[in-house]
Formats: sequence, C-alpha cells, structure tokens
Amino acid sequence: MWENFLTGTATLFGDPFTIAIFIFGVLGGMLFGAIPGVSMLTLAAILLPFTADLDPAQGVMLFAVIYCTGTYGGAITAILFNIPGAPENAPTSFDGYPMTRQGKAAKAVGAAVLCSAIGGTASALVMMLATEPLAKWAIMNIGPPEIFALVFFGLAVASTVGGRTIWKGWLSVLLGLLIATIGQDPVGGINRYNFGFSDLAAGIAFVPAILGFFAVSEVFVQAEKKASGKYEAPELSVNFPTFRELWAHKIAVIRSIFVGFFCGILPGIGATLAAFMGYGEAVRWSKNKEEFGKGKLEGVISSETANNAATGAAMIPLLALGLPGGALTAMMVAVFQMHDLEPGPLVFYNSPDLIWIVFAAMFYANLSILFIGLLETKTILYLLKIPFQFLAPLILMLASIGAYIGRGLVLDVMVMFAAGIIGFLLRRSGYSIPGIVLGLILGKIGEQNFAQGMQMVHYDLVTYFSRPICTILIVAGALTLLRGVYSAIQSSRSTEAV
Amino acid sequence: MGNLTRAHLVETGIWLFICIVFFGFSFEFNKTIEIYKFGATGWPRSILLLLILVGAGNLYYAWNNGSETQKGRVGFSEESSEVSYNSMGQVIKTSFILLLPLFYAILLKPVGFYAGTPFFIALIMLAWGERRVGKILLVTLVIYAFLIFLFMFLLNAPLPQGNVSPFYDFSAFMLKTKTQLQQLM
Repeated sequence: MWENFLTGTATLFGDPFTIAIFIFGVLGGMLFGAIPGVSMLTLAAILLPFTADLDPAQGVMLFAVIYCTGTYGGAITAILFNIPGAPENAPTSFDGYPMTRQGKAAKAVGAAVLCSAIGGTASALVMMLATEPLAKWAIMNIGPPEIFALVFFGLAVASTVGGRTIWKGWLSVLLGLLIATIGQDPVGGINRYNFGFSDLAAGIAFVPAILGFFAVSEVFVQAEKKASGKYEAPELSVNFPTFRELWAHKIAVIRSIFVGFFCGILPGIGATLAAFMGYGEAVRWSKNKEEFGKGKLEGVISSETANNAATGAAMIPLLALGLPGGALTAMMVAVFQMHDLEPGPLVFYNSPDLIWIVFAAMFYANLSILFIGLLETKTILYLLKIPFQFLAPLILMLASIGAYIGRGLVLDVMVMFAAGIIGFLLRRSGYSIPGIVLGLILGKIGEQNFAQGMQMVHYDLVTYFSRPICTILIVAGALTLLRGVYSAIQSSRSTEAV
Repeated sequence: MGNLTRAHLVETGIWLFICIVFFGFSFEFNKTIEIYKFGATGWPRSILLLLILVGAGNLYYAWNNGSETQKGRVGFSEESSEVSYNSMGQVIKTSFILLLPLFYAILLKPVGFYAGTPFFIALIMLAWGERRVGKILLVTLVIYAFLIFLFMFLLNAPLPQGNVSPFYDFSAFMLKTKTQLQQLM
C-alpha cells in the first residue's frame, strides 16, 4: 500500500499543472463551502464541463479534493452565522453558534479545523487500507433493509435534537418526510402532490429548500432582532482551543470517526447523517447532556469529525462498486463517464494510477485543512466585524443565485424564500430546522429502500428482522423513540403534579 | 383548557389542515403499482397518520405545559423565539423584511437578475434600518460588482435575464459588454 501511496504522491506533486489543480480544489472547496448560500456542489456543477479537458485522474482528483475541503468549509458559516454551508454542517451550528455568541468563535472554528482534518485523514487512511475488503463486506451485508434501518435510526436520533419539545422534534422530521413525498414516487414513478404545477413533478429540490430553511430564515431571525432592537453583534476572538481541551475529547473524536465512516460507506446516506449521528452519540454518552446546544465544544468536535470521516468512506462504494453515495460522488461518476471509464472493481486493475493519485490527494487535502484552515480562520473571523445589515443582502443574493443555478428555474428561488419564511415561523414556534432538512433529504432514500426491502423479503417481517444489522438498527431507533415518549410523558406528569 | 392558548389551537389547526389537504390530494395518485403492494399512497399516508398522532401529542403537551421548553432538550436555543411584538409598527416592519425577498423572487422572471438586483440590495439595507444614503449606494455597488465579477465573468453562470423590456434589453447589454471584454482579454 505504502508503495502505491508514494507513487500517487509522486504523480500528484511531480507535475506543476496537477499541483495547481490540487491547490485550486483545496481553496475552492473551502471558499465555496464557507460562502453562505453557495456550496461545494455549486462549484462542482460549474466545473463539471471543464473536467472534460483534463486528464481523468486530474478530473476525479479535483472533485475528491473539493469534497474533502468543502465539507469542512461549511462549518465556518455554521459557527459564525448559524448558517450551515451544507446540511452536513447543521449539527455544528447547534453548539458552534452559541460559542460565537459567547465570544468563543475562534475556539469553535479551531476545533472544527482540527477535527475535520483528523476525521478526514483517518478516513482517507482507512480508505487506502481497506477499500476493496470493505466494499466486499458492504455488498454482502448491506442491502435495502439495512439502509432503510439506518435511515430510520438516523431520523429517530435527529428528532431528539433541536426542537423545543420532543413532539416538535418529531413533527419537524415528519414535515421533512412529507415534503420529500412531493414529486415522483420512487417505485412506480407516479406523480404525487404536484398541485397542478408541472415543475413540481421533479419534486422540491434540496438546495433551494436547504438554503431557505437555514440561510434565509437565519437572516430573517437576525432582521427581526434588529427591528426590535435586540440584535447584538457577536464578539470577536482569536482564542484557539488548547491541546489539553482537545485531548479531553479524544473519545468523542474516535467515536465520531467510527460513526462517520460507517455512515459514509453506505450508498446514499453520506456525511449529513454522519454529522447528526456523531452529534447524537456525543449527547447519548455525555454525563452533561443539558450542556449541549448551549456552546459545548464537544458538539462541534463530534459533528465535524463525523462528517469529514464520511468523505473518505463515501469513496469506497464509488470506487469499488460504482455506487455514488451522494450528489458530489454522483458528479464524479459523470467525470469517469466523460473519459469513457466506469467506476467499479475493474478500475483498480485498469487504472491503478488514477486510484492512487485520488487517494493521495484526499489524504493531503485533509492535511491542508489543518494548515490553511487555521490561517483562514483568522481572516474569516473579521467577517464578523461587518455590520449584519451590509452582510444580509450579500447572503440573500448568494443564496438566490445558488438556488437558481442548480436547475435554472426561478421557481427554485421562490421555493427558497418561501422556505425561509416558513423556517422563520417554525423556528419562532420551537421546531427543529435541521430535523426538517434531514427528513427532506432522507425521505426518498428511506421510502425507496423500504419498498425494495419489502419486495426482497416478500413482505415477511420475520425474514426482514432475521437480518442482524437491520434488526439492531431498527431496535435501537425504536428504543430512541420510546425513550422520547417516556420523557415527554414524564415531563407532562411532573408539571401536572406541580 | 389547561395551559392552551389561541396560538396552540392555531398551530394544531394548521397541522390538521396540512394533513387533510395532503390526504385529500393523495386520492389523485391512488394507483396500484404492480410490483409494490403498498402503492404510491402507502408511504405518504403513513406519514400523515404519524403527523396526526404526533400533532395530538403536541397538543397534549401544550395543554399541560403551555409553550414551556421540555426539560433536558438538546440543541434547542430559545434565542429565535425570544422577540415579542408590542406594536403594530414592529409587525409591519418584520412583515416587510419577510416579504421583500419573496417579492424579488416573483419579479425575477420578468425583471431579471441584472436589472432587479441593485434595487433589491438597497431595499434590504433600508428594511434593516440603514438610513445613510452614501453607505447604501456604496455597499450596493460593491456587492453588485462582486456578484457580477464572480458569477458572470469568472464562473460564466447563466442568470435570469428577464422577459420584459427595458429589463431584457439591459440584460442583453450586460451580456454583450461581457463578451466584448472577454474578447479584449
């Protein structure tokens, strides 16, 4: 393995043009991830046609690098402005933004930098060591029932965080699932809930909805505070976390690497669920659960480690099986196809150079996060000095363009602003925006895998539950839900007693 | 009525309304799928059933606890619900802030990005309470120039051009200028 890795490194750093593409990918991913409203997906979509002129290895490598650094970039806006650059950074804002309000922005961003680098590097190493055996294990053991079970478990965990009450958490997730049913049904392709609008046949696009629920609603929340005279500019600090502070969270980091890697390896699940589950597990194992959501460093550490740990893992099904795990890895398939290549087991034998330059690039991209990220943090922190009334129009404009670019539909811009208003009202009423977004993202995946799973076992629940991974995840999800019911009833009873 | 307020009843009413509307519309696509026993309606109707059950739980909680935050909740911040309205002026101001971007989005098709954006940027700052004309003009110019440079020149991204004169003509002028500048370079 090391020999191949060194060969990949030599190829990567042996050609000035390849180095230039690598640096462009690192900076582009970080920048687009960090600009509110424009994600790494926007950059990747714009760059896709240009990769036809590149060498296949350079094209795939560019996307892999953007994937690693873009996943980190979104954490910056999540922490500084409560606007996650991508859904996988949503749980980072739970504790990151309160830390910013408390004048600990640099500490939160510093932890995000370090943990993204650790999670991503660990994931890249495991990817190099075990892509083939892990892919074989996944293909043998993971099928639609397991993927549905993981979606169920993930949604059960997500519903327990973010809302004012457990009921509101569940309602948020269910609303997301309901919105996801708009468009064609994933089994028969029948149009559902298009309400007479032909554009709705393709469903509600993720990007405008996410931008609306997160970025636009946050601008509205700040605007409301400004209008009522309650707006306070966050404090500025350059106080990075100490080694001791980070060492105290080593268990959370290791746990999140495992969680992130497991979620990342499954096609279609990816970094978003990884971040939520990383955060959820940190809460579950903590002795001071009530401190989460109020500016606890462990919250930032857990979600940022987990989402970056998912990036390397997401390459495993793509490279070994040809199955993309999410939107960006799906674009990588397009890059392969542009060069008449098919990702899958044969690519290891036919194009080992390509595989190892991509592995090496991902490894170094994650290390780059550590060095460039720390430098970038100090610069970006000065964004906080700009009065929000000047920053708000820029955020709204970037979000509008981000929503429009995806499909070229003005409808998507309208959907985004409508989602912004709905998100604003729901936030005021104590609902969980990340819960809605996760429901929206996982709804279709969940339904499709449920249907396929049911067909596989001929609608026989005994067979369904005879699959161990599936049973464990469904039981764990059900227990999470039952614990929620118990806590809700307890909380009502204690009030009745008073 | 316990601790229920009118707001709780409205909230429950909205959930119920959503469920009724979605259930009603589900008959439009209630077709059987040969390979799938539960059809196209099985999944959405299950979600609607759960929504009704959880909505009832939410109402029961509000009956007992009002709008109080449940003890031990994780990841929830009171911050976004702490603002209260004391005057009609505040309500109008917030409504203007909320509806202005939606108005921009609706006008995007006829007016286009190039002509509509500077006005929108300036209006947003006005809505946020900025009254210094010089600052509004300067920031509008800076943001507009940044967006044009990034998306029009650097990324070549297609942006809405509008379909009503003179806005469409203005977009055409911008695109023509861009092409001429690119040819010069």
